[in-house]
Amino acid sequence: MSGEIEISIKNLNLWFGNFQALKNINIEIQKNAVTALIGPSGCGKSTFIKTLDRMNDLVDNVKFTGEVIYKGRNILDSDTDVVELRKEIGMVFQKPNPFPKSIFDNVAYGPRVHGIRDKKTLHEIAERSLKGAAIWDEVKDRLNESALRLSGGQQQRLCIARLLAVEPDVLLMDEPASALDPIATSKIEDLLHELKKDYTIVIVTHNMQQAARVSSHTAFFWLGEIVEYASTIDLFERPRNKRTEDYVTGKFG
Amino acid sequence: MARNRFTRKLNQLRDDVTDMGAITLQSVEDALAALETSNTALAERVIANDNRIDTLDRKIESQCIKLLALEQPMAKDLRVIATSFKMITDLERIGDWTVDISEEVVTMGKPIHIPVSASKFNELVADVKAMVADSIEAYAQGDVQQARSFEARDDRIDYLYKDIVNNMVNALAQGKCSTETVSDVTSLLYIIRYLERIADHAVNIGNRVCYMEEGERAFLK
Repeated sequence: MSGEIEISIKNLNLWFGNFQALKNINIEIQKNAVTALIGPSGCGKSTFIKTLDRMNDLVDNVKFTGEVIYKGRNILDSDTDVVELRKEIGMVFQKPNPFPKSIFDNVAYGPRVHGIRDKKTLHEIAERSLKGAAIWDEVKDRLNESALRLSGGQQQRLCIARLLAVEPDVLLMDEPASALDPIATSKIEDLLHELKKDYTIVIVTHNMQQAARVSSHTAFFWLGEIVEYASTIDLFERPRNKRTEDYVTGKFG
Repeated sequence: MARNRFTRKLNQLRDDVTDMGAITLQSVEDALAALETSNTALAERVIANDNRIDTLDRKIESQCIKLLALEQPMAKDLRVIATSFKMITDLERIGDWTVDISEEVVTMGKPIHIPVSASKFNELVADVKAMVADSIEAYAQGDVQQARSFEARDDRIDYLYKDIVNNMVNALAQGKCSTETVSDVTSLLYIIRYLERIADHAVNIGNRVCYMEEGERAFLK
């Protein structure tokens, strides 16, 4: 695959207790591109994405081997500053999870945590982030309203704006549109096309059509392994592996 | 196996395209039999039956659009539908060429005089018929090996086509044709051109079958 590599994963294995959830994962995530992860439930794709910002550390009995090389260092090393890492590699979840605060405070939260106090600067960051998440026009006159009053789709874009506010490099998205209606979903998908110009995006999705629409590369996970990783068009038009073929044509999964 | 309903529809699509192929092949055989025996009644039947091919073309096109719109097919399923969608245009065009041949037969209305080697003309006719039959069989069976043979077989057809045209043009130029046979030569020039085009469509079908089975697109004629 051509293009600059943002994250390089080498021989990654992960266990929850005695259960091996990821098996010898080797994959290179392209910079400024959308990479989709597909596969049946329990195949390891969410576990994998959570490895990229060390969210699995929150689970008891987790153990991993291998390397996740980002900016020249292995982020699995025990001395990695995970707070700093999650500023650079942020996560959007399936269900929008805005804080029970105002729209402005949601977006300003991250910059404040990282020490920015100046109101003008915070406003500039909020506007830039909300614009980046394509929600500015909908909320610019109600920044002090509770974020919980927004629709589901707006809340999800607000969560993306909240990520952008801390200026990450990589956006991880775990089924970001699965709880949204088709219109809200298409807004998120359009947004991904814009965001990839400035960010590297990894998206987990159960919706294969969504993977086909938004991503340039797709990895098919099965039983903790990557069965096939290819350009999205190749994976959906002419998969090389029989199991990928069976999955994308709906014969199992 | 999941998606049983979709799988049934996909199998139905392949059966329908194969049926359309069989009807088109029958038109090719009938048009060439009409030419060989100057059977204008048979030629008229080929012309009349063309609407069956056109009707199937429209019906299968609708099936393909419906499957694409409603089932979001992927991988081999997608390629089967894309191949079928394009292949029916090849079949429909072959049907049109058989109509054109039949119209020449009706216009001539009598046994034609062939002012060149009959064996080469007969070889061309037999090769084109076999190519059409084999292309439809290759689609029905997903036979890539068969499909790959068409390019080389088409080279032979192109050679025969050029050779026959040259000989006929020479015959005309050298005044070897009577006033009566000049119009036969003109009709034959058209007919062998139609045959050469029919073979090109068979090559297209072969290339589409390779794509359907292996996912690699080939250059089309």
